[in-house]
Amino acid sequence: MDNLNIGRHISGQFNEDLERIINHVMHMGGLVEKQLADALTSVCDADEALAKKVLSNDYLINNAEVTIDDECTRIIAKRQPAAGDLRLVMAIVKTITDLERIGDEAGKIANVTLESLSGKHQDLLSNLDNLGRHVLTFLQLTLDAFTRMDFHAAVKVHKSDDKIDREYEALMRQLMTYMMEDPRSIPQIMSVIWSARALERIGDRCQNICEHIIYFVKGKVVRHSSQEDMQSLS
Amino acid sequence: MIAVTPKNLSAHSATQQAKLDLNNLSPEQVALEIKNLDLYYGNKQALQNISMSIPKGQVTAFIGPSGCGKSTLLRCINRMNDLVDICKITGQINLNGENIYARHTDVAALRRKVGMVFQRPNPFPKSIYENVVYGLRITGENNRRVLDEAVETSLRSAALWNEVKDRLHESALGLSGGQQQRLVIARAIAIEPEVLLLDEPTSALDPISTLTIEELINDLKQRFTVVIVTHNMQQAARVSDQTAFMYMGDLIEYSDTNTLFTTPMKKKTEDYITGRYG
Repeated sequence: MDNLNIGRHISGQFNEDLERIINHVMHMGGLVEKQLADALTSVCDADEALAKKVLSNDYLINNAEVTIDDECTRIIAKRQPAAGDLRLVMAIVKTITDLERIGDEAGKIANVTLESLSGKHQDLLSNLDNLGRHVLTFLQLTLDAFTRMDFHAAVKVHKSDDKIDREYEALMRQLMTYMMEDPRSIPQIMSVIWSARALERIGDRCQNICEHIIYFVKGKVVRHSSQEDMQSLS
Repeated sequence: MIAVTPKNLSAHSATQQAKLDLNNLSPEQVALEIKNLDLYYGNKQALQNISMSIPKGQVTAFIGPSGCGKSTLLRCINRMNDLVDICKITGQINLNGENIYARHTDVAALRRKVGMVFQRPNPFPKSIYENVVYGLRITGENNRRVLDEAVETSLRSAALWNEVKDRLHESALGLSGGQQQRLVIARAIAIEPEVLLLDEPTSALDPISTLTIEELINDLKQRFTVVIVTHNMQQAARVSDQTAFMYMGDLIEYSDTNTLFTTPMKKKTEDYITGRYG
């Protein structure tokens, strides 16, 4: 939290308000990470009970988003934050939206477990699990960069989304081949496609969070800009 | 609900692009140019090598902690500091390309071009009408029709006409604080100055009167260059186009208000506007 520099306001109450919000975001990040890990485990182990738990716990993430959103609104109304404080509040408001969506995507993945895929699709699931583990690591690195508000880490993580996109495309090609070979398995393969798509979207959401970190640290909006432009900020 | 069409969006981005480059203003864009200004009160240096260009037809705000020199700098612009015996000034302030500190400058004429409004409303103990025409009478204007017209125009510009039009000949001291401050602004603009200096014009007013004055400042910049000193940072953020942050006699950062309040370049500015220890 070195870059946050939130403990130096003349108003101790303001320090406390910001610290509380940041702690809530970290807690929310932890919840999302757990949901995604559980969703992937449920798919891999065909654990229906765990999948149901993931689906039923989604409300925790939704509640966290609403609470943090509320706190940010209150800070804007009461403190009129400026400069770094304003960018922090804006980055948080956007980050929690992305985290909430990641939670929803985890729910979609858990749904695949409940589709009860037959044993012959096990190799499909292992490929999905592979992509899933990479996305989970990607999320962890993103949350880590957020916790430290680390510009360099955010740029690095942002860049590595390309790798996930490539893996996603390879998996899609494989799934197409399966569908052509055995059209009767199309319904099951479609549900795998939906989860692969969910994982790819999680990668994009993590990229968004990295962009919010860069906005907070450098004050520059890097959405829709190239990797070179982003690097030039350092 | 306002529909956001691509046209609206492009209009918005055009406004964004209209941002001035304060380091490269053309002579036509500059109202005031301050060059290497140093100011001493006795042995104490209160302003250190201030250089900045204040653009025409815009609102420029000076912010900073107490004693940073922002009011001193404002007072330099119409030579109010001449009244302080121990004050010594070096450097230049150019108004329309002419140094106001040049030996031959007519200070009374300068103050007609550069009007000033202070923290506390200071109407004269005369009628509302006489307050507004005071400056014109001093310049020798006694034509009743001209004066009447000036009173109506100035009071309308100061957003006060509708409230006082039926009691123009009653004492100005009977007005509320917010009305008195608007009257003082009307008095200042009646002589059509080029620059209007406002030294914490709302610090003695209630929030509603403050908003009225802020709205008025926005209207006034169509006709005058406005320079405002304020302790209220949100006010600077709301009303100004450019903001200068000063600290202990130095000009720390001077940029367009949107940039200064979202992504200031200097750490001192960031600390001040976010309310951190220096």
